[in-house]
Amino acid sequence: MKKLSLVLVIGLGLVLMAGNVFAASATQGLTINATVANTAKLTLGVATIAFPDADPDTTPSIAATQNPVTVTAKAKTTNAGAVTLTVVTGGDLTSGSDTILIGNVTWTVTGAGFVAGTMNKTTAQSAGSWTGSGSRAGTFSYNLANSWAYATGAYTATATYTLTAP
Amino acid sequence: MVERIDCPCGSTDGLSFPPITLLDQENGEREMKRFSLVLAILGLLLTSMPVLAVNTTQPLTVNMAISARAKLTLGVNAINFADADPDSSPSILATENPVSVTAKVRTGAASTATLTHLAGGDLTSGGNTIAISNVTWTVTGAGFVAGTMNKTTAQSAGNWTGSGSYSGTYSYSIVNSWSYATGNYTASTTYTLTAP
Repeated sequence: MKKLSLVLVIGLGLVLMAGNVFAASATQGLTINATVANTAKLTLGVATIAFPDADPDTTPSIAATQNPVTVTAKAKTTNAGAVTLTVVTGGDLTSGSDTILIGNVTWTVTGAGFVAGTMNKTTAQSAGSWTGSGSRAGTFSYNLANSWAYATGAYTATATYTLTAP
Repeated sequence: MVERIDCPCGSTDGLSFPPITLLDQENGEREMKRFSLVLAILGLLLTSMPVLAVNTTQPLTVNMAISARAKLTLGVNAINFADADPDSSPSILATENPVSVTAKVRTGAASTATLTHLAGGDLTSGGNTIAISNVTWTVTGAGFVAGTMNKTTAQSAGNWTGSGSYSGTYSYSIVNSWSYATGNYTASTTYTLTAP
């Protein structure tokens, strides 16, 4: 009985020891760091839009030739960060000394977060707003209110869109 | 019967030898045989010297315990991904790429040593997260395995059969996206080298 116990003890000891003797492992930690900075990127499908001449009676609202204009607003911000897209013009449409109020230009939109509106030369108008990072795509379609009151000429105006990611 | 034989050498100087008889001759032959026998025995004795020399051996058992052993070395303790425009850099490479790695193992000749990687969680920055599965790695070096980081299941990063020192490199990259919230993200991961 004593012999049997001894054999069992030795055997069990060997089995337990074998766990350490015959297997080994090593670990190595690796920390991963990533920086995500505020970024905003705005892309319009065209750099210029044009409104052709039209009969005010038959075409009270002239659609821009380039409609719809694709727009993509990409932003990296905090989860709660309010991403805004605004537009403001440098002035009215001008042709020499003649002008057409820029307020006659409006736009409609497609795409979540994009905002329809009216051009303004003094106050930036909202053209879109979102919360958090993301890439948002949509379209703008521009229209000019036609009028018999407009003097003939080739008018031009400059508008600036601003995408902000706080 | 004794037969007299005259000495062939004769005697010229007055010296004389006793006559040699047949009896003497037989005795001489007998002595000669005895002498030859003694010589033969002596020869046997001489040739038997090695047989009779003391010769002993002692066995010596040499034991050496080679236990399973594993040693893992990464060239860096941390990797960093810099911010980049997702459009121009849809995948960002870690600044430290390529990261050298050496896995040294001692195990059975037919045993398979394994190197696995497990992330402690996603990349976090305050309450914001970037899924750790956006981090992948490529490899150089025989036995090293490319993969994608995972926070729940350890992913194979290498395996080899038998003992050896295996060297290679890991090159990490993260999928860039506009959807990431700004911040400084971090995650802790662990490589485990096992030699069974």
